[in-house]
Formats: sequence, structure tokens, C-alpha cells
Amino acid sequence: MIEANGLTKVYGAKTAVAGVSFTVRAGQVTGFLGPNGAGKSTTMRMIMGLDRPTSGSVTVNGLPYVKHTAPLRQVGALLDAKAVHTSRSAYNHLLAMAATHGIPKCRVHEVIEMTGLDAVARKKAGGFSLGMGQRLGIAAALLGDPQTLILDEPVNGLDPEGVVWVRNLVRYLAGQGRTVFLSSHLMSEMAQTADHLIVIGRGRVIADAPIRDIITGKGQARVRVRTDQPDRLRQLLAGRGASIEVPEREMLEVTGLEPKAIAAAALENQVMVYELTPLTASLEEAYMELTKDDVEYHSLPAAEVSK
Amino acid sequence: MSAMTTESTASPEPASSSAGHSHGHGGSLPGPTFFRVLNSELIKFRSLLSTLILLAATAVVMVGFGALSAWGTGQFANAASRDPQAAVRAASQGGDLAISVPTSGIAFAQLILGSLGVLLMSSEFTTGMARSTFAAVPKRLPAFTAKLVVVMVVSFAVTALSTWVAGLVAVPILDNYGLKLDLASSESVKLLLVNSIYVAAVAAIGMALGTLLRNSAGGIMSLVGIFFVAPIAFQLIPGDFFKEARKYLPGNTVEPLTAAQHVPDTLETWQAALVLGAWVVIPVLIAAVLLKRRDV
Repeated sequence: MIEANGLTKVYGAKTAVAGVSFTVRAGQVTGFLGPNGAGKSTTMRMIMGLDRPTSGSVTVNGLPYVKHTAPLRQVGALLDAKAVHTSRSAYNHLLAMAATHGIPKCRVHEVIEMTGLDAVARKKAGGFSLGMGQRLGIAAALLGDPQTLILDEPVNGLDPEGVVWVRNLVRYLAGQGRTVFLSSHLMSEMAQTADHLIVIGRGRVIADAPIRDIITGKGQARVRVRTDQPDRLRQLLAGRGASIEVPEREMLEVTGLEPKAIAAAALENQVMVYELTPLTASLEEAYMELTKDDVEYHSLPAAEVSK
Repeated sequence: MSAMTTESTASPEPASSSAGHSHGHGGSLPGPTFFRVLNSELIKFRSLLSTLILLAATAVVMVGFGALSAWGTGQFANAASRDPQAAVRAASQGGDLAISVPTSGIAFAQLILGSLGVLLMSSEFTTGMARSTFAAVPKRLPAFTAKLVVVMVVSFAVTALSTWVAGLVAVPILDNYGLKLDLASSESVKLLLVNSIYVAAVAAIGMALGTLLRNSAGGIMSLVGIFFVAPIAFQLIPGDFFKEARKYLPGNTVEPLTAAQHVPDTLETWQAALVLGAWVVIPVLIAAVLLKRRDV
């Protein structure tokens, strides 16, 4: 289990991660989804004690990573396919990693076999393709047979067979009751692999829900309503348990009510409605929407500063 | 298909049981004990071809310069025996010319092994290896200390061994010119030990620079600056301050440490030992503190 609490990382003027809180539970694959630069890798490096949070804290199985007596046996991480000395062979890299925890040679051979690296294990890691590098990173993560796995963009650069392999591997590991935390900027990948999804954008958690809920839009469905009596309609809908935002005059964004229920409420009270649009039809769309916002915000540094 | 193979081979059961039997060192502690981290750093050290090439280069240079210097010293002594002017010059250089022949390549050994010290740490950062290293040893300082031990011990051993071999090669050459070199004399042993300790110290300074700068070129240039540029620059700049400061450069501590009698314009032996020690301890401590605090 991974628990982040108000995790924040500021690099100079840039806030990479802004007060992120979440819990990654054991026995399921938790996806960490966000566009490039959203703060996924920074968050993962903070979990692994490589980056020091500016504020907030994060624990793995109840302890900060640094405090574990046998960190590699607690957490295995693939943070970067290139976290290897380019002139060292894959085998020697794994052997050196294993030596820190007294993990025997036979386990090194096991993970090499498991990740399909046999043919290239004696070759310099610097000559590896991105896909081979990912396999080596996954092999290193598995060395200590850890209860928790953190994989940053593990399918990047993998061929289709490798993608399926990673998908099956993480599902299998989660099925054994392990905690699997997997990041990606690819929505489609998450839809096929994750049980639970944490969506991050601009360093903030935007959604944190079971993937089924997110895909079906349950609890997430937003409806855009345009009316000439926004205040009246707002009161009416709020009375029915909806949460409402007012992005523009005469426009409401309603979460928690179906379009039909909104129309019924408007009709009963004789409020004219001239637009009624469901906003999040699918996760893909929701995510695209999010990414689009991200770009828009980048072009508005003033908005960022005022936050 | 591949998915099926994965599922059958990815079983962690044999893994956890084999991992469970692995506590050969450090009793039942499953984590990174210092001995294990040291072992890991040794594996990392010997599995890099570039490292081994640098060690071999040190040996070749030391032995080569030993032989060359033996020949040159012989020629010089030969000339001195015929030419009274040369004899005066020889006498002014101190009686025993042969004694320092085995260590005549030391300036190059310090440059190569000092650079090795820089590279061993800077390459961790330039290649990204540091993220693996410090994820495995998140307390960081055990990995730093283990690497420092490996760098210093190897530098000492390689320097001592190649000095000794250089001596073995030099003895018959010097003998040709009627010069005697006793490798077992206390003077010879002292020169070998002090120079080897000195090169180990330079390697430690190099590693501290590599840790601080995280950049191979910058680290090596700083090292060259301290050991090769500064002594010359300090000599060229007029004024007593630089003349005095020059004594405190690490490269100028060897002479007072090895000389039989006090050499003018150098520190006392005990001062030289302290200064060299400070040149090692201060950068290493700063590097350790910053390594612990900075992001990887």
C-alpha cells in the first residue's frame, strides 16, 4: 500500500506536484494517468526517496521508503529504462543490484529468464533498444520479489508482444495480492490494465476512482446546461443533490444528475433550457478534455500564478 | 502465447524461498548491510571495461616511467662520473638518485586514478545508474562510503604494486650503470607507501569532485586545476601569499612526507600529513552531506 499525503514538489519557479494525496491499495493494479509533464515521474521518484518532497509525505506499507530495512524487498521500481550504466552488461547490473540485498545469483537468472533477456544479458546495456531497456528495468524491479511494484511508463517502447506481456505480468502480480502502481500517458493502455485509476494533471489529482466508474461515467458524468435563469436552475438542481459549477454566464456544468432529470426539473419549474449536453461520454474523451485544458493552462501563465 | 509463458514463469514462490536462503552475510537481516553494499560496489567496479583499462594504463605508465627514469638516471650518473660540472649538479640533487626511480611516474598515476575517482561517481549520474543505486540503498551514505573504500583501496594497491614492479624493472638497468637500488630498504618502502597513500587520497578527492559536480568533464578539469594548474599558477603569481599558499596545495605535500630532511619552502612532515588529510576529509564530507540532501 502506498499513501501520499499532501505531496508537493517545487523546482525553482515550477510546481511539479501540488499537494497530491492518494492511496494505492494492494491486490489491484492502480493506474497513474496523466499527460506528459503532469507530475507522474516526480511523484514516483518521491515515493522511492530519490527526490525529497518540498512538503507532504509518502509512505509505502506504512513507512517512508528510506526507513525500510530491506527496501528492494519491499518495493521494486522501474523509474527509468535508462537507470543503468551504459557500459555494464545487463547481467552484471542485476548482479550488483542483487548484491546490495544479498539476493542470490539464481534469482538474477530467474528474472533474466522471466523478462526474456537471456539472449542479451551479457551485452552492454547501453546498446539496448528502449524495449530491452524496459525489460531490464522490470527485471531489476522484480529482483527482490517485492510486495509493491512501481512502474513508470513500462510499456513505452515495447513491441505489441511486450505490451501484452507487461499487461499480463502486472495483472498476475496484483492477483497475488501485491500492490501495483503503474503510470502511463496512454488512456487506452490504462483501460485495459488498471482496476483503479488516479488521474493527474498539472500536478494535481483530477480523478481517483475505480476504472469501471470512470469508464461508465458514474459519479463523473457532467452535463452542460445553458439557461436564461442560471441562478434559479442552480438552486433547483442543488436541491436535488447535484454539484454545480458556473463557468460562464447562463451556463452551468452539473455533476451528479442525468440530463433527463435536469430537463424534468427545468420543465416542472418552467425554466427555459436552451442547451443540455452530456460532457463525458468516455474515459478517452474525459482524458482528452483534460489534456486540452492542460495545454490551455500552459498558455496562460497568469492563471497558474494566481493559483 | 507469451502471456501464458509469463504466467507460468513469473511465479514468485521459488523466488521468495530462494531469497529467503540468501542471508549468508549479515545474519537474518534481509537488507543492505555495509558488507553487501561493498560487494555490490566491487561488482560494479570490476564489470566496467573502462575502469580496468585505466588501472592497466596506470601500471603501464608507472613501470614505463620507472624503466625510462632508470635509464636516464644511469646516463646522468655516467656523465657525472666524467664531467666535474655534472658531478656538482648531481651532488646538489641529493646523494641517492636511484631511490626515487620507481615512483617517477607518480604524477601520471595520480592523474589517471584521480580521474577514475571522478568517473566512478559522475558516471552514476550521467548514465542514470544513480537512480538504481540509491533506490537500492536509499540511505545513500553506505553506497558512497563503499565506493570510496573501493576507489581508495584499489588506487593504493595499483600504485603500490606498479611502483614495486617499476622498481623490479629499474634495478637491473641501474645496475648496468653501477647504481644500487635496494627495494627492501626502509627508504624505498617509505616512498612506495607514502606515494600509494597519496594517490589513494587523490582518487578520494576525485570521487568527491565527481559527487559534487555530477559531471565527468567538470570533475576531471577541477582535479587537473588543483593538481597541475594551481601549483604552476601559484609559482608564477608574484607575492608572498601565493608562495606561502603553494605549500598547502595537496600536490606539494608529498615532498615533505617523503624527504629524509626538511626541504626548504615546504611544510613540516606533520603539517603536510594534516594538510593532505584535510584535502581529503573536507571535500569528502561536503560531498557526502550534499549527496544525502540533494535529489538524485
